[in-house]
Amino acid sequence: MTMLTATPPVPSLDAATAAAAVNVSKIYGKGDTEVRALDDISVSFGEGQFTAIMGPSGSGKSTLMHCLAGLDTVTSGSILIGDTDLSTLNEKALTLLRRDRVGFIFQAFNLVPTLSAMENITLPMDLAGRTPDQAWLDQVIETVGLQNRTDHRPNELSGGQQQRVAVSRALASRPEIIFADEPTGNLDSTTGAEILDFMRRAVRELGQTIVMVTHDPVAASYADRVVFLADGKIVDEVFEPTPDTVLDRMKALG
Amino acid sequence: MLRLTLRNLAANKARFAMTTFAVVLGVGFVVASFVLSDGLRSTFGDLSEEITGETDLLVRPAADFGEPLPLDESLVAEINAVDGVANAVAFVEAPENGVQPIKADGTTITTQGPPQLMFSWTDDTALGSFTIVDGEAPDEPGEFTMDLDAAATHDFVVGESYDLVTPGGIEEDVTLVGTTSFGQDNATVGATLMHVSLEEAQRLFGADGSVDSIPIRLESGADAAVVTSAVAGIVDLGNTEIIDQATITAEQEAEFNEGINIVGNVLLGFAIVSLFVSIFIIYNTFAIVLGQRVREIGLLRAIGANAQQLRRSIILESAIVGVVASLIGIAAGVGIAQGLIALFDAIGAELPDSPTIVALRTVIFALVLGIGVTVVSAVAPARHAASISPIQALRDGGNLSEGETTRRLGVGIAGLVLGVALGAFGLFVGAGSTLGTIVVLGAASLSIFLGAALAAPAVARPVTRIVGWPISKVFGTAGGLAQENAARNPRRTATTGAALMIGLSLVTTGYVVGESIKARLGSLIDSSVSADYVITDPNEAGLTPVLADELAATGNFDAVAGMRYDDALLAGEVRELTAMDVSAIDDLFSIDVTAGSIPSADATDVILLHTDVAEDLAVGVGDTVPVEFASGFSTDLTVAAVYDDSTIFEDPVVPEQVFDAAGAAELDEWVAAVLADDVTLADAAPSIAQLEVRYPQVDIQTSTEFQESFEATIDSLLLVVNALLALAVIIALIGIANTLALSVHERTREIGLLRAVGMTRRQTRRMVRWEAALVSLFGAVLGVTIGVVFGWGVVSALPEDGFGGSLAIPVGDIAMVVVIATIATLLAAWFPARRAGKLNVLDAISH
Repeated sequence: MTMLTATPPVPSLDAATAAAAVNVSKIYGKGDTEVRALDDISVSFGEGQFTAIMGPSGSGKSTLMHCLAGLDTVTSGSILIGDTDLSTLNEKALTLLRRDRVGFIFQAFNLVPTLSAMENITLPMDLAGRTPDQAWLDQVIETVGLQNRTDHRPNELSGGQQQRVAVSRALASRPEIIFADEPTGNLDSTTGAEILDFMRRAVRELGQTIVMVTHDPVAASYADRVVFLADGKIVDEVFEPTPDTVLDRMKALG
Repeated sequence: MLRLTLRNLAANKARFAMTTFAVVLGVGFVVASFVLSDGLRSTFGDLSEEITGETDLLVRPAADFGEPLPLDESLVAEINAVDGVANAVAFVEAPENGVQPIKADGTTITTQGPPQLMFSWTDDTALGSFTIVDGEAPDEPGEFTMDLDAAATHDFVVGESYDLVTPGGIEEDVTLVGTTSFGQDNATVGATLMHVSLEEAQRLFGADGSVDSIPIRLESGADAAVVTSAVAGIVDLGNTEIIDQATITAEQEAEFNEGINIVGNVLLGFAIVSLFVSIFIIYNTFAIVLGQRVREIGLLRAIGANAQQLRRSIILESAIVGVVASLIGIAAGVGIAQGLIALFDAIGAELPDSPTIVALRTVIFALVLGIGVTVVSAVAPARHAASISPIQALRDGGNLSEGETTRRLGVGIAGLVLGVALGAFGLFVGAGSTLGTIVVLGAASLSIFLGAALAAPAVARPVTRIVGWPISKVFGTAGGLAQENAARNPRRTATTGAALMIGLSLVTTGYVVGESIKARLGSLIDSSVSADYVITDPNEAGLTPVLADELAATGNFDAVAGMRYDDALLAGEVRELTAMDVSAIDDLFSIDVTAGSIPSADATDVILLHTDVAEDLAVGVGDTVPVEFASGFSTDLTVAAVYDDSTIFEDPVVPEQVFDAAGAAELDEWVAAVLADDVTLADAAPSIAQLEVRYPQVDIQTSTEFQESFEATIDSLLLVVNALLALAVIIALIGIANTLALSVHERTREIGLLRAVGMTRRQTRRMVRWEAALVSLFGAVLGVTIGVVFGWGVVSALPEDGFGGSLAIPVGDIAMVVVIATIATLLAAWFPARRAGKLNVLDAISH
């Protein structure tokens, strides 16, 4: 339990900040039924870093990610993507921010079933009416190994291939930051490892910023940094994690 | 299981609400058509008895064919002398709207509403059914009376003088000497009822010395049968008949009912079309809702519910929806009937105040139809859902496969083929009777609609792709996704579109048939009418021959001829003959004489025959043909000419002298006139204007105006038909909105994903709206295609020398309907689109 009494983790300020939460609280319900999903959290995510957010169920890790990504609003505090304070944005501006500056990878149901793999990848740019950068697109698709699969519909792809399409979509518009919500939760360990490897390569080789929520220590070990949440608070963090160090910290959190 | 059924209904309340609404509308209109016609029947039934009054016997002219000769006035005195007759009176009546009083403001009462009738007056109130309320009876020339309600409504004041429009022209300064009541309550159902003295009636209606009928009141205790045989001894039974009170009332009622039944059946027909459209919507709702419940169904099957239990549970669910919808529909129907009455009022066809009668028959019919339609629609989805294996259902989750499309396509094509065959039989062979043919054509349409709906999924994908291409170009990704969504469930799109297809195909049929008839008339007038003016009487009361004479007397015309029509026995067969100044026929019409020549004006014993008739009768120029008229007059006519290529004179033509001699029809049905070479339309206009002042009830039109007014008649008929079909289209639009709402619900997660990766609310709404528009356009493509085929069938079936033979498709009108339907769809989709736009992104993703 020594970890809990340690000084709160200070956000790493080595790199420029891609996204940050400043004194963020998120409260559901009122009075007796009040639930504090996030309790005065401050954390920042450096550019070009792969960060994993871990914590037991109900720790608030998904809520934090949703708030950071502009999918949910905070009760107090502010969320920054780059220099933009999300609390100042209306619904439409938030939508456009998600479209133009953020990428998403969900646990499942990442793709629109009526669109081909390629159409899914370019969807955010198509919605914006922008022409994708073809060279970059080719590079992304090559990196994830989907060259021969771009005309297929999602139901013609395996789970791993679908997730690779999702990663490509997130990368294709070169967003400032990608949020991944248990991206390997629905995959077997080999396929999951492949996806995580792609994500790490995207960070290392392409300079992408990724924030990933996971409860899997092995998945978290692919990240540069792991932030631990419990009861809506940040309780710990680890840099250059291995599955064992992550597991140890998790155990410590109970 | 019952509890589960009820829970399911409660859980899906909103989804079934729209379905219910569709059934409510359909059942409501069925009920309204019954309530309306039952009410009218009751009102007019009472009226029939009132009209008959205490007339015990009625003597009237009769003929086996043709127009019977009026009775001689001298018969009245002879009948009055018969033992047992208390009173027999001479009765003369003007043709409907034949006499129209001119109001103080110079206008006439509209002839679109209840009729304006004028009768000869009798003081015997038992026979006439009228009593004087105010003022006195019209005994003298230059006097008339009017029923008190019409007088009040149209501001006719006792003591004032008015002009009357009569068949012979304007009768000036006739004094309103009194007001009358028809029976106790003056239950005229809106008609304007007028009286003049017998002598005035005979003069005004051109019936000197004759009467139209003789009502008889018997002395109390006299035996009707005895009196009848005594009267029979006086009259010539060859052209007279004697009928009793029951027959008079029954005939009167039958005459009223004929009209009422037409209105009632037309409304009922459109109501049933609407209910038929509802079938598609109910089917879709059940198919989609059950599809979304697959996992639950799998669970039920896994824990031991058998397929039959499931099927029953679902069908029970539909029956409950049917009962609720039918009951609401019955209540709504009473309101809709009131609305229809108001609508008729608004378009000038005022209906009399009638009691609201909800007969047991109406309720039973409505329940059977409403519940039947709902349950029948749910059977197929219920069977399909119950047939899923539990493991498959639990594994596949939300995705219920659409099943075997090939078999449906086969059945659909079979339906189309059967429908076309039935349609061809109905149109070109006929089922013997009008009702039989209507039933066959109804079955053909039903078969074609169902066949098209079953086969449509096969073309849904390509058609929505093609139609959707411009939409995806204009509206970018949202448009593209709308197009993909419309194509992803071909069966859903097809069924939803098919609902709209039905209404639009019937609208298109109307347009094609109407346009073809117009085109045919146009070419007919161009090719076979040289007349510059056509005079007709919109009331069909007939034109006085004086009118043609007055027109000729203006000196502006080369030829003027009035056309009279009557039936006669021609070589032992009843045919309609046309009587006219035969010498003018070639000037007025382009008639192609193939043998003989057009006789001169003074030829009196000649006949002109169409080649087909000449062939039928096996006669040629110079042969004689015997002719006999209703009056008994007979003569031999010599064939002077045989002609071809005329649609106006299919029937034999005789000189007017033949009709004069035979006492056949005295009034012209229409008059045609051709201007002299050096006279222009503008030159003739002043004299025409003068005639129009003297004969305000007739239409004097140039041939172009005549054609335009004919086209206007067709247009207004189409307007009524389209207004009635609007109901079926509205129900289909509700269906589209409903399907879209269900689809949005089903695709919640997908919409959440789209929103998460940056689709704006506006783009989301646009995606849903344009999917709806595509479904609607798909239905429109099917509907217009079927409608054009239907129209082509009807036009081909019309006689070639009548209005058939020239197919014309009004592309502009049809395109307009499609555009309106699409705009209406975009509006109807506002609700599901808004819901899609408002979805909470996080909730949607984790749905």
